[in-house]
Amino acid sequence: METPDLSPPAAGRPFYGRFRTLVRRILFFGSVGLVNLATTLWLADLFWRMSWQKAHYPLLVVFIVLNGLLVLGSFHAIFGAFARLTSRGGAVRITKLADGQTGPLRARHAVVMPVYNEDSVRICARIEAIYRSIKDTGHLESFDFFILSDTRDLDLWVMEETAWTNLCRRLGGFGRIYYRRRKNNENRKAGNIGDFVRTWGGGYEAMLVLDADSLMDGADIVTMARIMETYPRLGILQTPPKLIRGASVFTRLQQFAMRLYGPLFIRGLNFWQLSGGSYWGHNALIRLKPFSEFCELPALPGREPFGGRILSHDFVEAALMVSQGWEVWLAWDIEGTYEEAPPTLMDHLIRDRRWCQGNLQHLWLIFARKLPFSVRMHLFMGIMAYLGSPLWFLFLLLGTWIAWDRYSSNLSVLPFDSYVARWFHISGMGQTLILTGSIFALLFLPKILAVIGAILSSRTRRSFGGMIPILAGALLETFVSMLLAPCIMAAHTVMVFKIFIGRAVGWGNQNRENDGTSWGDAIRFHAFPTVLGVIWSFIALKISVTFTAWMSPILLGLVLSAPVSVWTSRARYGRALARSKILSTAEELNPPQVIRYADTATSAVDPALDATVEGRRGIISAVVDPYVNGVHVSLLEPTEQSELTAAEEILAERCLAEGPAGLTKNELSELLYLAPAMLMMHRAVWLRSMEGIHSIWTQAVESYRRRLDQPSTAELTQ
Amino acid sequence: MGPPRHSLDTLRPLSEEELIEWEEAYAAVEAYLQALRLRNRLLVAELVRSILWRASARRIDEPEKPARLLAMEEALTEIAEWTQDVLDVPLENRRLAARGRLALLLAGMPDKWQGVFLTPSPWPQEFVQAMSKSYLAAGPRFQTLTMVPKPLELNAIGTGAAQWWETMDRQPIVRFMFLGVLSLVILLAAWYFFLH
Repeated sequence: METPDLSPPAAGRPFYGRFRTLVRRILFFGSVGLVNLATTLWLADLFWRMSWQKAHYPLLVVFIVLNGLLVLGSFHAIFGAFARLTSRGGAVRITKLADGQTGPLRARHAVVMPVYNEDSVRICARIEAIYRSIKDTGHLESFDFFILSDTRDLDLWVMEETAWTNLCRRLGGFGRIYYRRRKNNENRKAGNIGDFVRTWGGGYEAMLVLDADSLMDGADIVTMARIMETYPRLGILQTPPKLIRGASVFTRLQQFAMRLYGPLFIRGLNFWQLSGGSYWGHNALIRLKPFSEFCELPALPGREPFGGRILSHDFVEAALMVSQGWEVWLAWDIEGTYEEAPPTLMDHLIRDRRWCQGNLQHLWLIFARKLPFSVRMHLFMGIMAYLGSPLWFLFLLLGTWIAWDRYSSNLSVLPFDSYVARWFHISGMGQTLILTGSIFALLFLPKILAVIGAILSSRTRRSFGGMIPILAGALLETFVSMLLAPCIMAAHTVMVFKIFIGRAVGWGNQNRENDGTSWGDAIRFHAFPTVLGVIWSFIALKISVTFTAWMSPILLGLVLSAPVSVWTSRARYGRALARSKILSTAEELNPPQVIRYADTATSAVDPALDATVEGRRGIISAVVDPYVNGVHVSLLEPTEQSELTAAEEILAERCLAEGPAGLTKNELSELLYLAPAMLMMHRAVWLRSMEGIHSIWTQAVESYRRRLDQPSTAELTQ
Repeated sequence: MGPPRHSLDTLRPLSEEELIEWEEAYAAVEAYLQALRLRNRLLVAELVRSILWRASARRIDEPEKPARLLAMEEALTEIAEWTQDVLDVPLENRRLAARGRLALLLAGMPDKWQGVFLTPSPWPQEFVQAMSKSYLAAGPRFQTLTMVPKPLELNAIGTGAAQWWETMDRQPIVRFMFLGVLSLVILLAAWYFFLH
């Protein structure tokens, strides 16, 4: 496809002017700065009034940063609420570019889903749902679908192949839905996407990047493609995904919070970032040409964990795009964009370990040349999402030290005059209460605004199941998140510390199941915050009951880490809440069509081609089953080689004699990539009698003798 | 396929050991046909019988080969040759035999065309077309783009920090000295702010 030069300077007027963007950013960050400054001065004055001591210096410095982050977060919601109230019809909405467009799409687009050791039936169900949803719009011809596998588990690899084949058979998707597995998963997800771009990217205008748990509505995808085609300055169009399918209490809390409070934050974010947005790694449409030109990630100075390959590639890719003049927009009003969340606190924290290391690597990019302000802000916020925890921990430690110092020195507080007393005639206690009230207001105002907004809007109220479920859900979410916050703080602090001392993290797959956390696992995993909480509680009680009362939300959260982690992991409690519509969301109470498609999708499952049967799972099936073997061999890259070398034959014979367990993972992988070996083994397991081959093969062969339509023993005994 | 209603005379007289051997051969061929998802018992029995008949005929010339081996070779050869005839392409190497099996699946043989399986031509046109169209492609035609990483351009602070960081990576002694000094500074600061 011949693409004209559409580099930003040659691509016409920007959607939103530079001057107006500047005004918005000054207004937003000026407000944040002013409020932070005022609060900090207020606290400094209070310290002065309580008799200043040297320990107050570090406390105040940490407060400036922490309070700045709090104000920044809170003002996103406040500006979001403001934008929502005042911008009827005039909101900055990039999707406006697609309004009224109905004709066919001009270019071809790819829908890509990188996967890594995932449940193949589930990923195919999501692809099926998106496929059907786009088909409903009548624009299927403009899209191709790619499942880009980096799966390392060899059994899962075979299952992916069979699930994909079944999917294509049922949907008639051959030539439209493709499956590719990388032999070497270099540079993880970024490398996986990069490999797609290098191989097939030239055939498409843009790619819609999904996560393995992503789901998107077809009509919204078409809208995004129209925007991309209409606005040539656009490099990335990010959507704000909603969490769905929460079963455990933990996931339901997250999806409820994101659904209720999220839109305000998203609107607030859009208020200032405008064309300098960020990319969150999935549920986003990316223009391929500039992506290929500018977004191959550079290596960072030094080794991991701070240097080497960039782990959190998404922010950096957006940064590189924006720095080259391409625009990155957040399509905040795209509704049909979904993802799933880790089911338990433990899974959430395990995922956070990877994100933490990735985000801390971005420290280097703060010092990069040519990065615009908005990009630096995104990087800074990403870094502080994790560095904020050790700072909060330090703040609490410093506060405890000062209280202890006061207690152990037996010194009385000297009444100093202060500016607040002189100008506003407010007592010391009044000054303390006002500061506390302000902090609480900043903490809870976003939630309050969101709840009021949801109750006042009849459509939103109904979508959550009514006023009572909204209020009950918000109260429960606030209470549990207060309990969870100290535990997360402690976990993040340990993560950051470990990364600082040079311990890199792995990049495992996510658990998307809802098994729940066992007590043993929870106690082991949360041992540090629990012990910390117990010790801290003793110290606090030693200082004074009043101090303990002030610290109680933190101390309770730490001490109860394990029970809260276990309780929130339970799907049965989540289901009980769902029956009362508590923590329910619009997508749960009235699922959109694409979610219904995904829930009922079964195309990937067919007994005629099945690599999941007990006794002949994955690799066993690829050798024994005539169809699975046929699919696997047909998907291997064609080579001239039709005969095995002596070494390969020895390896295949070992596999036959010792079973797959007798080979190393690398040896097995090598065999699975050898078409002649797979064919030779297929013949061998059927031709040879029991002698000379492992029982795992003979049992698998024997398993076919049970008639396929014969009921299983389990069914007969029921 | 062997002639219908052919007697099993060539199998007789059989010793007990031979009976066990042919039972194993029967089981293997039956299992393979069931692995191809042939559900109809009559069809399976008839196909197994004809394949065993041909294997037993071979046994006269190749007495050293086990019955199972002969029977399964016959089964696999029969299927490969038949799919070659249907697809009308030579399946010279074994890889293409896999293509033939795949075509059976994709054409929907287990669901729609069991009765056609291993029968002589002519075959229904719809079935032949379905078999011919059945192939897998992992991706469309390559349409490449290049992606070349550009080095990260750091400002003066970043460049200095990168040099320092890489030096610490290369020379552990420098790293230890740096960590020592850093720890000392932290301890001094703590002493100054909290204990002094």
